[in-house]
Amino acid sequence: MPLYAYLTLAALLFAIGFFGVVTRRNTIGILLGIELMLNAVNINLVAFARFNADIVGMVFTAFTIPITVAEVALGLAIVILMFRMRRTAIADHLDILKG
Amino acid sequence: MTLEVVTFWGLAVLLIGSALSVVLTKNLFHSVLWLALSLTATAGIFLALEAEFLAAVQLLLYAGGVVTIVVFAIVVTERLVGERLTQTSRHIVTGVVLAGALLLAVLRFLRGADLPVERPVIAVDVTRALGRVLMTEFVLPFELLAVLLLVGLLGALYFARPEE
Amino acid sequence: MTDPAQPALLALLLPACAFLILAVVAPLRRRGRLAAGLSVLFSAGALVAAIAALRLTAGSDGFSEWLWAWIPAEAGPLASVGVLADGDSAIMLVLVALVSFLVQVYSLGYLSDESMPALGRYYAYQSLFAFSMMGLVLAPNFVQLFICWELVGLCSYLLIGYWYTRPEAARAAVKAFWITKAADVGMLVGIVLLWRHTGTFDFLELLQMADGRVIPLAGLGVITFCIYLGASGKSAQFPFHIWLPDAMEGPTPVSALIHAATMVTAGVYLLTRTVWLFRLTPDVMQIIAWNGAFTALLAAVLACVQTDIKRVLAYSTVSQLGYMMAAIGAGFASAGFLHLLTHGIFKALLFLGAGAVIHAVGTNDIFRMGGLARKMPQTAIVFLVGTMSLTGVPFFAGFFSKEEILGAVLAGGFPGPFAMLLLGAFLTAFYMFRVVFITFFGTPAATHGADAHHVHDAPPFMALPLWILALLSVGIGTLFAFWHPKEEFETLGWLTPTAIVVAFAGIALAYLVYQRRAISADALARAFAPIRAAALRRFWIDDVFSFIYRGLMLGLAKVVGWVDRYFVDGILNVLSAWTLTAGDSLRRLQSGRAQDYVYGIALGVLLLLVWVRWPR
Repeated sequence: MPLYAYLTLAALLFAIGFFGVVTRRNTIGILLGIELMLNAVNINLVAFARFNADIVGMVFTAFTIPITVAEVALGLAIVILMFRMRRTAIADHLDILKG
Repeated sequence: MTLEVVTFWGLAVLLIGSALSVVLTKNLFHSVLWLALSLTATAGIFLALEAEFLAAVQLLLYAGGVVTIVVFAIVVTERLVGERLTQTSRHIVTGVVLAGALLLAVLRFLRGADLPVERPVIAVDVTRALGRVLMTEFVLPFELLAVLLLVGLLGALYFARPEE
Repeated sequence: MTDPAQPALLALLLPACAFLILAVVAPLRRRGRLAAGLSVLFSAGALVAAIAALRLTAGSDGFSEWLWAWIPAEAGPLASVGVLADGDSAIMLVLVALVSFLVQVYSLGYLSDESMPALGRYYAYQSLFAFSMMGLVLAPNFVQLFICWELVGLCSYLLIGYWYTRPEAARAAVKAFWITKAADVGMLVGIVLLWRHTGTFDFLELLQMADGRVIPLAGLGVITFCIYLGASGKSAQFPFHIWLPDAMEGPTPVSALIHAATMVTAGVYLLTRTVWLFRLTPDVMQIIAWNGAFTALLAAVLACVQTDIKRVLAYSTVSQLGYMMAAIGAGFASAGFLHLLTHGIFKALLFLGAGAVIHAVGTNDIFRMGGLARKMPQTAIVFLVGTMSLTGVPFFAGFFSKEEILGAVLAGGFPGPFAMLLLGAFLTAFYMFRVVFITFFGTPAATHGADAHHVHDAPPFMALPLWILALLSVGIGTLFAFWHPKEEFETLGWLTPTAIVVAFAGIALAYLVYQRRAISADALARAFAPIRAAALRRFWIDDVFSFIYRGLMLGLAKVVGWVDRYFVDGILNVLSAWTLTAGDSLRRLQSGRAQDYVYGIALGVLLLLVWVRWPR
């Protein structure tokens, strides 16, 4: 399969993830959307690494995966905290910074 | 119809299907499970791209770790069952429009680009090469990553501490 | 030294130096007597120089010029200042210097009760005025003329409002300034238009152009009319005459100097100086003649009902100025100019005499005087001399010049104005002798001397100028009886007797009414009741001006104010309101929800992609 097949796949995945981020009400749902987007990015990176015979792309991926894991962990910790304070996990209710 | 093509299309359908299910399912718990499936499909894609090490890492960390964490979080926040789609999602039309626009923009971008079609032949072992580079060129970021993980761990612990 | 420009320049600069010294050296000015002495001394010097200049120009028709390029430019200076000494300007210079000197001496006595700093201020102004007036008289071009014109107006304001703590005085000063300034706008327009028309401001150049018939006639009428407007403001022609009676709020010596002999004659002088220009526009000349005659008659009527001695003299001045203007309009400027000179002498005399009376009695109201001839014989004599000059009794100064004017107007082909002037002469005799009889003869009024002034004759400082002027009046009158300047027109034989008869008729009427009481003053008043009533309201001319000022100008100010408040401020308020509304609307972008911000980011990325890929 040519490169652009993989890239198209990644783009599609990214769009779906974006849709999830902006439409989900539950905060955890938003985090799932973010996961999808990050996945798409990783597919991109690995595909480029393979087709350009450059290992750096895979190194990049090797870094993003753990970082993403850490980010999810922290994000969920925040969600739990918010749930404790506000008794809600709905993103729309978390608008203290409203202008 | 080579094996490669069939594998790719199969994995692609699986990936996209499960991704759509992640964002469209009402039940959050089901969403998480669909996510697990899509993460696994991604690992499959990595394998198709001859990045075995990364496929393994993906399975271990993502499909294993992340999913587990999210499940715990859902259990803690006790909002499992949502009602209709409009109550789990908001502004669907806008989201579709914008996501579609984004997709189209990227695709057009790709169309004009000069992309290689054939995979180049790889002589060395990818995993070995990855390891060597990680320990020589990128050793600094590697160590920093370790520090980051430590900090993340401490942070998560602090956030989730029981109230006094 | 045969160049008359040099002594003329000296005469011009001496009062200027006096003013500068008094203005700058404040300690000197505050020692009033010392300042007065300085000013009088320099004024005397100016008089001597003026007489020297006169002697050098006597008999010759030539001009002597001294110029200094004030604004130099490549093709000749844009504006120069200096002196232009010829027969007319030299004799006017003498008049100005003489009256100025006499008035300053007189003021030493009249203003002896003033505080020292105020006196110093007064003499500084007097010196400034002398300088400005001489600058006007000697002006070689319209630029210097206009500058000095305005300076003279300023001095008039300063001197009328000398007692500025009195509201009437302050108002009068402003009124004088306003009216003359309004007229001066016309003059400025005229001067500028003239420059556009001919390319020069200089009198001599313009004279040559006029003689050589080089000046284009189209549009010249507008120019001369505009210049006439300015002249009529200063010379109190109708309708600009209203400031002069009110200007009597100033000290009497000021009235004598400015509002009798010098400033008000500036307009007449200007017309005389530029008569070669006016001769080219006969239509404007007609206007000048008719307006002059009308003013003369109007003012004479108004003078008949006044009870304030100075107001009578003020209206008399307006009337006489009308006579001068009528003569100029008829085409015989020399007759007008001659009357200007004689009038300067005897009107100054009358004012100073009135001042002596006011100083002694403490009031201006003639009905609170009476029988003063016995207590103030010198003053009575000189006042009588002045009155007879004004009335046109033979052997007194005014007789010949007034007859010249009557003859000029008739010769110029203006029978209507002639009739008006003749009637005016009758009224002049009547009202002047009315004043004389009421003030100096008859029984003293019951309340006269109520201010516990013991009525005394004029003190020496005041008496000396009075006598000098009186002697001059008689001297000139006698001189003219035997020798007079050649006339430019044919005098009709019946003119002189008619003039004499008219004058004496007026005297007789005044005698009968006010001295003998043979005719009742009340009956006379009743006979002319409507005219009298209108005259007491000054024919509502003041009210018209007041309406224009208050009604139109203040109304305009209100409109402009409304526009400012609602349009200008309104626009600003609308803009600020829009800004606030825009801010409010934009604020809703900050919803506080993270997902909305993600939308924003996505939009930004999209736009970026489009922008990068657009020039494909």
